[in-house]
Amino acid sequence: MKPRKALTIAFFVFLLGIGYLSMHSAPVLSDDNYSYHGETEWRTDFSEAEQLASEQDRPIVIYFWTTWCTYCEDYNQYVYSDPEVQAELDDFVKVAVNLDSDQGEYGRLQQRYNANYPPQHVIITPEGEQLVKISGYADREAFLNYLAKAEREYDAGDNQ
Amino acid sequence: MNVGNVLLATAFAVLLGATGILARAYLADDDRHVGYVTMLTGTGAVALAGALAQLTYQFVVTDYSNAYVWNNTADYLPLLYRVTGVYAGNEGSILLWAALTALVAFTAGVIRGFPDRHSKLVHAITFGIVTYFVGMLLLQSPFASIRTEFANAPPGYIPTSGEGLNPLLVDPYMAIHPPVMFVSYALLTMPFAIGAAHFVSLFRGDGSVFAAWRGSVTRWLRVSWLFLTVAVALGGLWSYTVLGWGGIWAWDPVETAILVPWLFLTATVHAVVRYRPNDEYRILAPAMTATVFSLAIYTTSIVRSGTFRSVHSFADGGIGISFIVLMVLTSVLGVVVPLAYWFLQDGEATGSDGAWLTRDNLLHAAVLLFGLLTFVSLWGLSFPVLRAAVTGVEVSVESHYFNLWSYPLVGIALLLLGFYMDFDVEGRRRSLTGLAVFGTAAVAAAFVAPSETWQLSPSPPTQSPIYGVLGSISVLSILPPAAYAILGVTKRALARIPATADRGAMFKETGITAIHVGAVLLVLSLPFMYMFAGQASAMATGIASESVDTSYQDVAGTDYSVRVLDYTSNEFPQNPKPESYALSADQVAARGPSLNGTVQAVYGTVTDIRRGPQATVIQLDNSRTWVGVIQRNETTGNLSVQTGQGLVARGRLMWNFVPNADATVLASPQTIGSPANPPEGVVPTRVQVDGVSLAVYEDGKLVTSGVAGQREYPQQGNMQVRDVLIDRGLVTDTYVIAGVSDGTASMTVKQVPLMSLLRLSIVLLVAGMSTVLVFDPEHGIQTLTASTASSTDVEPETTD
Repeated sequence: MKPRKALTIAFFVFLLGIGYLSMHSAPVLSDDNYSYHGETEWRTDFSEAEQLASEQDRPIVIYFWTTWCTYCEDYNQYVYSDPEVQAELDDFVKVAVNLDSDQGEYGRLQQRYNANYPPQHVIITPEGEQLVKISGYADREAFLNYLAKAEREYDAGDNQ
Repeated sequence: MNVGNVLLATAFAVLLGATGILARAYLADDDRHVGYVTMLTGTGAVALAGALAQLTYQFVVTDYSNAYVWNNTADYLPLLYRVTGVYAGNEGSILLWAALTALVAFTAGVIRGFPDRHSKLVHAITFGIVTYFVGMLLLQSPFASIRTEFANAPPGYIPTSGEGLNPLLVDPYMAIHPPVMFVSYALLTMPFAIGAAHFVSLFRGDGSVFAAWRGSVTRWLRVSWLFLTVAVALGGLWSYTVLGWGGIWAWDPVETAILVPWLFLTATVHAVVRYRPNDEYRILAPAMTATVFSLAIYTTSIVRSGTFRSVHSFADGGIGISFIVLMVLTSVLGVVVPLAYWFLQDGEATGSDGAWLTRDNLLHAAVLLFGLLTFVSLWGLSFPVLRAAVTGVEVSVESHYFNLWSYPLVGIALLLLGFYMDFDVEGRRRSLTGLAVFGTAAVAAAFVAPSETWQLSPSPPTQSPIYGVLGSISVLSILPPAAYAILGVTKRALARIPATADRGAMFKETGITAIHVGAVLLVLSLPFMYMFAGQASAMATGIASESVDTSYQDVAGTDYSVRVLDYTSNEFPQNPKPESYALSADQVAARGPSLNGTVQAVYGTVTDIRRGPQATVIQLDNSRTWVGVIQRNETTGNLSVQTGQGLVARGRLMWNFVPNADATVLASPQTIGSPANPPEGVVPTRVQVDGVSLAVYEDGKLVTSGVAGQREYPQQGNMQVRDVLIDRGLVTDTYVIAGVSDGTASMTVKQVPLMSLLRLSIVLLVAGMSTVLVFDPEHGIQTLTASTASSTDVEPETTD
């Protein structure tokens, strides 16, 4: 190979390398596909979550929230920031539904699970069957109990 | 239509005409009307210069009938900063850019004329660009009437005070930085046009344009490089003194935006040296020439699109879309067409015999390295925008991205520079030994970090392993390559300068040596300046009281101590003349009912007072202008106004409000007072300057003294600008920032090493390039008059 051609090829390889590596190691500031609560990441696309849940055979937790809801802020601060809660939540597919959003799918979810005010959590099977509903605020302990209950119900359903 | 818009429209018409005539002449190969082009473009350039002069004049006299003037200046500013206002916003800076480009294009046309089809195409492109700029200005004019700001104001309404200038721009560096930058961008238009015309011509089967223009291209590129270097340097020194950012460079998007064309321009200057009509560089050199300007437009567009929240956001918004169209046009001509030609043309490049170690290959490596450096900056500027647009994921690009990727490239570039110079003098064997020694030393030094401070970026916030590796490199690793480069450059200069045939060649060699030494010193000083800048703080309380405590305050952890000698607090404007902010009764009468309903300040001598139970009305200067003051209660209502005294007042002006008066200004007790001491409501404070006089001692010896503090701009969202105290030392600068409020001064004393080296490097770069520009025996300005411009340079270059 001629030297200049080799140099030029090396140049492009290097260039692409820098481009790829840097783009993927840049710190993420925010992501449209996720909603952030406490230290947890929530999906915002319900259909995607549904699909993922049935593929991985996991229940879905839907969190109905708004930006102005003070109990949601309490959830952020006292519940989602807790490592144990985070570990528990990893067993679920998490979807956050902003009640103020005018996305059509959100409206249907809101109707279907009768979630008219924030904060509410509905835990469902991938098929949409309701397992547990948490209306209003639940503190860390209660929230963990609800999650555990949902898992028990889900496992019981699976075994039938 | 006002004078400014008429001038813009005239410029647009004549320049469009000139572009049309040249384009037609090129396409149809028909010289009809070409004789008019010089006259037309001359008119265009004069009209644009006139428009710029008109706008500057409006700023100098603060003509607030112009919305742009109203938005970007105020009476309290000194003359220099009223002129700075001209290019503080988008419209004005485009006008400056357009006027300079018109001047450059016109001059180029006069010097060379339009002897052949190629030159017609080149000039059609340059005039086309100017025409486009003027078109942008017609769509969003810097001469728009104030009515665009106050749509509901009565006809003829003119405010009495302006919005003021962005505080960051109130600085001598900023008064010169933008014009210098735009001169450079204007000069880049010529190389762009020549490069673009070259490929258009090749596609049309009309042959090479570049060969005949090579001398010109070299000169244009060098002059632009000179101006761009000065612009970058001025910008850096500005951020060092104004912001207290603690350095000359922060990878702010706008800083990066000017660095991208600078790096690529540097690469292009090297590439054009290697241009030979039959070589591979017959494509690369013209392509790069065309690309530089596209990059300047691209980076300008991306930072003006408003995507970045930068300290430079003073010029956001507006012109966005027309910039993006320009970006697409210049990218097509400057990047896509050359690339397409490169893909489509067949036949291998000649001139390479397969040997690796040749001057040409080394120079090619240098061009590629500069290309990579450009890419690092360009990519850092672009990928957050691209990624957010495509995936909705917002990522941040931080300074360690730029630093960590650029550092090794710069190190390699220095090794290459040393090797190239050495190779030139010593031949293959000895130079390779040199490279091996210094290269090994550099790699070894990369692992030697006496403390964590020596590491580039010990623990970058992202966990990417590549940043971990790059960040752990010790900055000692820059020393062997820098030493090698300086040795090589000096050695070659010593070997070559005495051997030069004539004075011009000798000056050129000296200039090239200076540039390269300057570049080495620049990259040597930068990492140390950042990594070894130390800082510590001290506090002084009770400074606002009558007796300032002048005792020594130790700066913890350093050998410094500071003494606060005095405290000063001033408000501006100080004792402004009433006519600078208020209207006289005569002026009110002259403007008539157009003032109805607007808020105005007025001044005059009291000639009559009528007190009623709820209001007092005061006549000014025996005129039909009265000031009315409503008194709601006894305490605030006891106005002590006497006939014969001077008065200023501010309030809503009502026309035909009461009998026997044309205008009544409805003031409140808070907005009426004497001209000697006008109340805040009449003349708001523009700048609040707080500062402490300081003396800084090191080991008990006085280092420097002066005033440090801050200027606060209440009318501009309480924005603050620091007044720093800098002692420019030979080895380290002592840099004091003070925040003064509530009787407390908190002072930060910084030590910034190697600033002198950096200043020296800038001087060397500028002086070196000026020398080359003037004295180059082949393409120097001195030889411009003597030689005919059309040499195809079959002889390979023997320098650079």
